[in-house]
Amino acid sequence: MAHPAAGGGDLVSADGSMLVIEALARAGADAFVGYPITPTNLIFSHANARFPLFRSSTDEISAAQTMSGLSAAGKLPVTGTSFPGFALMLETVNMAFMMELPMVIVLGQRMGPSTGSATTGAQGDLLLLRGAISGGYALPVLCPSNPEDCWTLAAEAAKVAVSLRTPVVLLTSKEMLMTRWTVDLSALPEVRRVEWPAYDGDGPYVPYRAGEGLVPPFLPTCDGSHRTRFNASTHDETGLIRKASPGAIANTERLWRKVRERAGEFAFLDLDARDGASTLIVSYGMTAGAARVAAARLGKAGRPTSLLVLKTLLPLPQEALDAISRYDRVVVAEENLTGLLREMLHGTVGREGVTGVNAIGRMVSPDDIIKEVRR
Amino acid sequence: MSRILVESPSYPYCPGCTHTTAAVAIARALEAAGTDPLDVVVVTDIGCCGIIDPLLACHTVHGLHGRAVALGMGIRLGIEDPRKRVVVIQGDGGATIGLQHLLEASRLNVDMTVIVLNNMVYGMTGGQASGLSAREVREMRGMGDGAVPPYDLCSLAHAAGAAYSARVLATGDLQARLSAALAVRGLSLVEAVGICHAYGIASREDLERLAAPETVLVRDREPYSMSRRELPSLLDGAIRPRPSPEWASLPGTRLGVVIAGSAGEGVQIAAELLASAGIAIGLRSTKKGEYPITVGKGFSTAEVILSSDRIEYSAIERPDVVIVTSKEGMDAARGMLGNAAALVLDDGLEVPGGFTGTCMSAPFRKAAGAKGAALCALAYWLAESGVMPLEALEEVAGPHRHAVELRRAIESSRTCAGNIL
Repeated sequence: MAHPAAGGGDLVSADGSMLVIEALARAGADAFVGYPITPTNLIFSHANARFPLFRSSTDEISAAQTMSGLSAAGKLPVTGTSFPGFALMLETVNMAFMMELPMVIVLGQRMGPSTGSATTGAQGDLLLLRGAISGGYALPVLCPSNPEDCWTLAAEAAKVAVSLRTPVVLLTSKEMLMTRWTVDLSALPEVRRVEWPAYDGDGPYVPYRAGEGLVPPFLPTCDGSHRTRFNASTHDETGLIRKASPGAIANTERLWRKVRERAGEFAFLDLDARDGASTLIVSYGMTAGAARVAAARLGKAGRPTSLLVLKTLLPLPQEALDAISRYDRVVVAEENLTGLLREMLHGTVGREGVTGVNAIGRMVSPDDIIKEVRR
Repeated sequence: MSRILVESPSYPYCPGCTHTTAAVAIARALEAAGTDPLDVVVVTDIGCCGIIDPLLACHTVHGLHGRAVALGMGIRLGIEDPRKRVVVIQGDGGATIGLQHLLEASRLNVDMTVIVLNNMVYGMTGGQASGLSAREVREMRGMGDGAVPPYDLCSLAHAAGAAYSARVLATGDLQARLSAALAVRGLSLVEAVGICHAYGIASREDLERLAAPETVLVRDREPYSMSRRELPSLLDGAIRPRPSPEWASLPGTRLGVVIAGSAGEGVQIAAELLASAGIAIGLRSTKKGEYPITVGKGFSTAEVILSSDRIEYSAIERPDVVIVTSKEGMDAARGMLGNAAALVLDDGLEVPGGFTGTCMSAPFRKAAGAKGAALCALAYWLAESGVMPLEALEEVAGPHRHAVELRRAIESSRTCAGNIL
């Protein structure tokens, strides 16, 4: 995306939350249900000022369930929460994944463990998301690295949710959602309304029968022409409980396959591979900003350093894995103590040459990253 | 008449279980109400009550344990056609897990029917008693709390605002109660107290003796609907400072400004105005805030970056100035003073020991009051440093709902007599 020089374009002072909500609304998300929680306070208030349908719920479990009902009825619901609320939603996120209900969850990370520090940013929830679906199935997770990403990835999240019929998490954090940024609106791409993979056959409609795209065509519950069934328990294509029958196992395996095999449709990243660079900095979310500054300064100082900013975190794009494997030295920068992305990449055993830059309670700085690259 | 039950249904329940009776009664009541199978969705919980789906020729949604009311509420709110029906079925276990959902749906008076098949035991996990079990059943099942009465679900729903709440024996006039519930616009609850031969009450006589009395509670209220709104783009209302050529700043400008004070004293607003004014003088800006959870107590700090170039990293590495207007602010900003070029202080504060940069002090709190001190101090520094004309700050304060107070605070900076320390 082009970033015109200061003074040009249509510059506004906007928080990341505003861009997320506006882009979601334009993409066709029409219902917001949530319980206010820091740092997604602005997500909640902007949604109230923008979404056609809005409900403040009594708690996060109710919110996620009501969202699921709205989704089954053909709406595209959104919520905003942070770890404490997401933890309550987890069973319902599994339900929605199993029922194949589109929805977008804006997860604003804050420092934990537990309630932690509500107004302090963090990047501590990646591995929770990696394991969020019982069985290790892939929940698509997109992660904005700057305000423009808040716009484009929110729209993509809506698109993935609908086209793959799945909950999608937009993983972000306090500093991205609540910081006021200068944004050139004229440089933001147009957001198109997402198309539903709706059923238009003559019937009989078999609720979970999927074609080559591995996603069953959708009909809202209470459709006037065909009977629908949604089911959170193990079911076959009929949508009825079938325990571990071959049809039910095949349907369950499809849930994994549809996300893995269509991951290329939403594999977003920025890779800046520099000639002569022996080191690759890898980062995501808020820390990507520090990583960009660090890579630029290192380059200016005569030490060309490559940079990979991941915008799709789950499933990890193959292109990212390939890039990482090409470098002997990889520095993974993220705002947590234990290196969650590093662990997701190379497990608890790790890989020689792969080190981390980590911090909690403050943003990782460019100097932190430069120091590690030069070490 | 369209049939709600499938052809030749194969009932999944144990012999003598009143869930079979209930399944038939639900179907008959829907049929008697003239409901087409494609005009009703049955939303079920986990448990014996939830394996009814294969019996039904209508739409079904089989959800989680205890959440069917919240799920059904979402479906009801999402279906635009009011003639469509939403029927929720759960057991006594699900009803206590999701009690809040029932109370909320009752409070809103959501137009749907909730049927609780209360057989007083958890049939799928070995027959433990529930919060809806009679005292004797709780004792019989070894829960050890037979002195504690069960929840009165109908009274709770009624108190919360449900249009119709009825308790009926599943062996009694269940279909009539279901028909009455289906005729109601609003939240209708039917608690059907029944038999579980495996673990619970096994005879009609015991059921009649142990079940809470049958009841019907009604309340005349309009049902809730989530009204659909057409709202304008958020970008229409975004803060859009118009860059003014006469205020244009020099290329290559990069400034980091920290403002530190007390919560409730306008620190964040002052910083937001600076960020907007930065755009008005042709720069880009970021503004991030730090504060405790309380908005009127404790510290409040903000970091504003103004730059000719795109800003990738929104924290300040080396502040050009730290503006401090209260002791709480000083405590919060102390860590940033080490490499700050300049410090602007309210004259009630002492210069921290070891600070070697330029330091200015003026009576901001006296001049502008506690709530205006941060903006007054910011305006003072802007004028002293020549970063931007105060007109730019005044201009962006114009559309603010507290514009009068904000402009007064900016104005008060002109009369502040400061000292370079």
